Formats: sequence, C-alpha cells, structure tokens
Amino acid sequence: MIFFHWYGVYFQAMAKILSAALDHPLDKKEIRRLVQDTVVGETAFFLLSALEEGRWQLLTKEGTTPIKNKPVLPLTTLEKQWLNAIALDKRMHLFCEAPYEDPQVEPLFLPEDICVFDRYQDGDPYEDETYRAHFRLILSAIKEGKQLEITMKNRTGSLMRRRVQPHHLEYSPKDDKFRLITTGNRFGNTINLSRILTCQWSKTPLVTAGEPEEKQDAKRKLVCLLHDKRRALERVLLHFSHLEKEVEQLDDVSYRLTLWYDREDETELVIRILSFGPLVQVEEPEDMVEEIKRRLSLQKRLGRSRSV
Amino acid sequence: MAYQELVKNFNRIRDYMREFYIYGYKSRKAFTNKSSRSYDNERRRVEGWMGDYMQSRRSASGKQIFLTIDSRTISHNPLYQAWKVKSFTDGDMTLHFLLLDILAEKALSFPEILQRLDQALSVFPSPKTFDASTVRKKLKVYAEEGLVTAKKQGNTIVYSAAKPPEGLNEDALNFFSEAAPCGVIGSYLLDQTKSAHEIFALKHHYIASAMDSQVLYELFLALRQKCSVTLELENRKKDGVRVLTVTPLKIRISVQNGRQYLTAYEQQTKRISSFRLDHVRTVKLGKQELQMEEWKAALERMEAHLWGVSSQSHTKERMDYVEFTICYQPQEHYIPKRLLREKRCGTVVQLNETTCKFMAEVYDASELIPWIRTFLCRITQFHCSNQALEDKFYNDLEEMYAMYQLGGEKP
Repeated sequence: MIFFHWYGVYFQAMAKILSAALDHPLDKKEIRRLVQDTVVGETAFFLLSALEEGRWQLLTKEGTTPIKNKPVLPLTTLEKQWLNAIALDKRMHLFCEAPYEDPQVEPLFLPEDICVFDRYQDGDPYEDETYRAHFRLILSAIKEGKQLEITMKNRTGSLMRRRVQPHHLEYSPKDDKFRLITTGNRFGNTINLSRILTCQWSKTPLVTAGEPEEKQDAKRKLVCLLHDKRRALERVLLHFSHLEKEVEQLDDVSYRLTLWYDREDETELVIRILSFGPLVQVEEPEDMVEEIKRRLSLQKRLGRSRSV
Repeated sequence: MAYQELVKNFNRIRDYMREFYIYGYKSRKAFTNKSSRSYDNERRRVEGWMGDYMQSRRSASGKQIFLTIDSRTISHNPLYQAWKVKSFTDGDMTLHFLLLDILAEKALSFPEILQRLDQALSVFPSPKTFDASTVRKKLKVYAEEGLVTAKKQGNTIVYSAAKPPEGLNEDALNFFSEAAPCGVIGSYLLDQTKSAHEIFALKHHYIASAMDSQVLYELFLALRQKCSVTLELENRKKDGVRVLTVTPLKIRISVQNGRQYLTAYEQQTKRISSFRLDHVRTVKLGKQELQMEEWKAALERMEAHLWGVSSQSHTKERMDYVEFTICYQPQEHYIPKRLLREKRCGTVVQLNETTCKFMAEVYDASELIPWIRTFLCRITQFHCSNQALEDKFYNDLEEMYAMYQLGGEKP
C-alpha cells in the first residue's frame, strides 16, 4: 500500500512543531505560525483544533514535549523500493555517479517493466559525458543564481555564443528532451541542452535576475466545438488535460472547450487539433482557423489517391 | 456524521478528482452515482487541497466545479496532496512520534518500550494508556513497512527505529517525483527534505496519472513477484464492474495523452490485451505464474506491430497493412525527420527529394489514423488493407472540408 497516514500533512506539521518545541517551549502564537507555514485552508483549522483539545499527547499545555530527539521519518521499504527503481533510470546519472541504492530491497520496477510507446525517438543523449557535465553545471548555476557562457548550434547549424542567466530546466516526456529556460535574453529564453557545445561559468558579474519575461500575448485562448462521437469527449479532454481549460456542455453530444496555450506552441497545437479529424472544430482564434483551412485546402487539392 | 477532511479509502476521492480535473463540466445533480452529501463532502475536500486551482462557473444546469492547471507552470504535482490526507486515530499520531523517538537511541525489548511509553506520557495530567496489544500491532505494522527493525537477541525481540534518509540527491528527487512512475513516493521523500529549489518544470505533463498510483504500485509488485492479479475493472460507462484474472506482462504508458495501461495475458481468452489503469478499481495479487516469461517473450514479438495498445484488428485479418505518402518542399527537411522520430513501428522510404512513404503492418491500423492526420496538407496517397477504415479516413476529410466551408460533403 502507498496510502499511509505517516506521509500525511498532519504528521509533517506535527514533526515541525515538535522540532521547535525541543528547542524552546512554544506559545499559541508560534504554534499557529508553524501550522500555517506547513498546511493551508481547512487542514490548518482541523490541526489547530486537535492541538487545542490536546487530542494527541505530544505537546503539553506549557508548549513542551516529552520527545527527546528531533522527529525524523526513517526511510520506509516503499521509499527504498522506489529509490532503487529510479537508480536504474538512464537519466539518474545526470544528477550523480552513485545514486542511493539499498541492496537488501528489490526495486519497485525495472526499466523493462515499462514501455513508453509514443515517446519521440530523438531524445537527449543522457549517456554522453559532455551532456552530463553541462547538465550538472546548469543545475548548479540555477541553484546559485550564477550566469553561464554557452556556445551552441542553432536550428540552421550556425555557431552562437550567449551569456545567460539560467532560471529552470524544462523536461518534455513526449520529446524526451531537456530545455534550459533563461531570463533576460533578447535572443529568446529557451535553449535545447542537446544543442549546447560548450558551457562554463561566466566571468561577468550578475546583471539581471528574476522570472523569465512574459512575452506580450504569450498565452492565447483557443475555443473549439467538440462532437462527442467515437468517445471524442474523453479522448480530447485527456489529451489536452495538461493545459488550463474549461468545458461547457451545449447539448447531449456537443461541448465547447476553451484552452489556454503558449503562442510558441501554436503549430504543435494545430496538428494536435487536426489529429482529431471532424470531431473538433476550432472557432477561435481566427488565425488558427485560417491555418487549419489553409492546410485542409492544400490537402483537398492533393485529392484522393488509394495506392501507387 | 460531521465532515472530516481526512480520507480512509483513496478510491472515494479518486473519481471526484478525475471528474473535476479531466471533465469539469458537470453540475452537482449530474453526479448521479453519488449522494448529494457525498458530492458536497468530496468537493469541499478537493477545494481545500487544491486552493486556487479549483474554479467554478454557473450555467443553466447549475454550478460547475473544475480544476484547471497549466502543468508547465508548476514544479510539483498538486494532485499528490490527495495522497497526504489519510485518516488516522489520535492514538496513531501519539504512538507514531513517541515510538520513533523512544527507538531512535537504542534497541529496546517490548516491555522496555511499554515502560518508556508510560514515562513519556506521564508528563500529561491525564496520561493516555495504550494496551500492550495496540502497541504490539503498531510495532508489527511499522516493522513490515520498514520504519522499525525487529531483531532477535537471544530469546527476546528488540526493536529500533530504521535509519533516517541519508545521501539522497534532492535534485534527482525533484525531477523523478514528477517524471517517474509512482512519483508520489518521491514527493513523500521530498516532504522530509528542506529542498526549496524549484529547478524543474515539465512540458506535456499529464499529472492525472498520480490518481492511479496505488493500482500501478500493486501491478509493479505483481510483475516483480511474477504472479497473477485479479482486477476489478469499471466498464466505460462506470455503471458496472467486472472481475478478471490476468498475468501482468508490462505497463504501457502514453506521454501524448497520459493514459497508463496494463498489458497482460488473459487466461480466459488466452490473449494478450491491455487494460486502462484508470478503469481498475482494485488489484489483488494471486498465485505465481510460471509461464510469465513465455508470455513476455510473445508480447515482445508483438511489439513490432503494436502502434498503441490494441492487439486486435477490426477485420478478420490478423494484421492491417497501412501506407501513406507525403510531399514537402526541399527546405522542409524537418518533415521527413518528423516521420522518423514519431513513428513507433514500420518503415520510412525516401521516394525522391521531396517525397517520403511510410509503411507498416500493425494489429490495429485505426490507432495510426490520428497521427496520419497530423500530416494533412501533405498526404498524396493513403491506403489501408482495412477498406472500411480507408473509407472512413476520406469521409472524415470530406466532413472536415464541409466543417470549415471548403466545399466537402457532410455525412
């Protein structure tokens, strides 16, 4: 089983309270602050009520505890099984050479137990030593807020040199690729890790930091009609579930779906919509409707040919 | 009974989370399978855990509640929160911290543990008393789950707290808790660290699979222990359940729609089939299956002709043959590259500088149709041995032309 109370938010909050109580007696105000720092909403309310009522004999009225050691949750067998499984993942060596493994516990799963059947085949070279070195340097730069000097090949194969402020790494399970998201670069904020040729600390001091700039009109709204034939409702909603969305039922078989997507992904979205054939009809934005019409007109001109 | 935030049985909230997150168009009265009070309680729970991700809209049919999350903008799957609200008793909470504290310093026998417990509780004006069998049961569960180790010393069993986590790579935990199967376990580990870095985001991240983690976990156990499983499976309309005994062979995962499947040998039909994990309600481990390796080898041979998960043609033939040709401009070198990187089986042949042909023999050609449609505007030829499917492809095209006022024929 994986659903255990000791992993729960109540236990996490209690561990924090008890750790603090080991240091000094806690007053109500501090307990309230510790609870609110750990949990939100009704959880905080229920937790504080239970503490107030003294339902758990762990904290005295004076704010002390009979506990002598800082509470730590030992590694459970479940966690060891999972850690042993991810130690076998080819991406693990991006992070370290010797990942945690417990030889006395069987991995929860082996790579051969899983088949990701629709992942693209040109994923990043995780076994390449240079790629690993770049990955680790980028991780350090993100955590330390430092700049990097990067040379890379662009889409056309030309060499480029850039000084960047790394913000975070983005991974796409579909593309099986990592991208570095940077801030403050007028040439764009996304760099494919596999295109990086050299990567080193920048000698120039930090100039800009902060969040990646939101490009103007970066998020776009797409509205489409969905005809629930051939289980289209479930298929379409699952397919686009990773985006912000709203669904409205119009009648027994028709739905209106509104999605918010990144402008840079527009072409990808067009072909994803086309994959559903006549079950999805785009209403907005107008330029996407025009692009779909353009593609369909071209297809119509190519005609119908069965075989060669 | 008064409302309680904590949950005893995860399956209770699994359906609601999925409804709110995937669909999100139903009003309260449309949840016909459940009572109104059950709906109100579950909605309140999900609202509490999901905060701002939970939104509502009013329409003629009433108020609709839905979860809306752009998974590219988050570092940690918010649906994991549902796994962290397991119900517990007051005794569970008290014993958890006291026992792990008592056993942290040195190994103790059972009578010594009872004595130390009483000592610890004596600081309270009305100390709780735990009977010996409650404490013994608790130690047994903790030993089974690895929180406590039990060792024999002479004729006595002594207990000690298991080792705290050491040497874990927090960056790896941050990544794999999102990218690996059963990532919620990584999230449990992260909760014990002080990791505050938000280093990773995932694009095309299907977070709803988190709701099926228990099912996936049990299936992994069966795969590792090489045993059969009895599944309780919901039907598509969710108004009935069937029970089936199968031998698990592999977990098949889609990163393009987030579905997870169990591919298994079905004893009754003597076939290899796939079952969606979100349709599985319970998994019960059965007997050891000596033929598992044999069936795994059979599945491996089949995989050269599996596009998705379907292993059955819609015709009487064992396999469907499908081919299509696309044309492109000489500078559009990314188009043939797309064919090569996106194909899951079959072959690509370059016919001339601007034309490529894809050919494959697959169990079910209908699974390829959505992918083939992504090349619309370039398809110069399409053929499928399943004539009905070929006709459907072209009829769908006509319907699309009509839909966008391009002069096609409505069906």
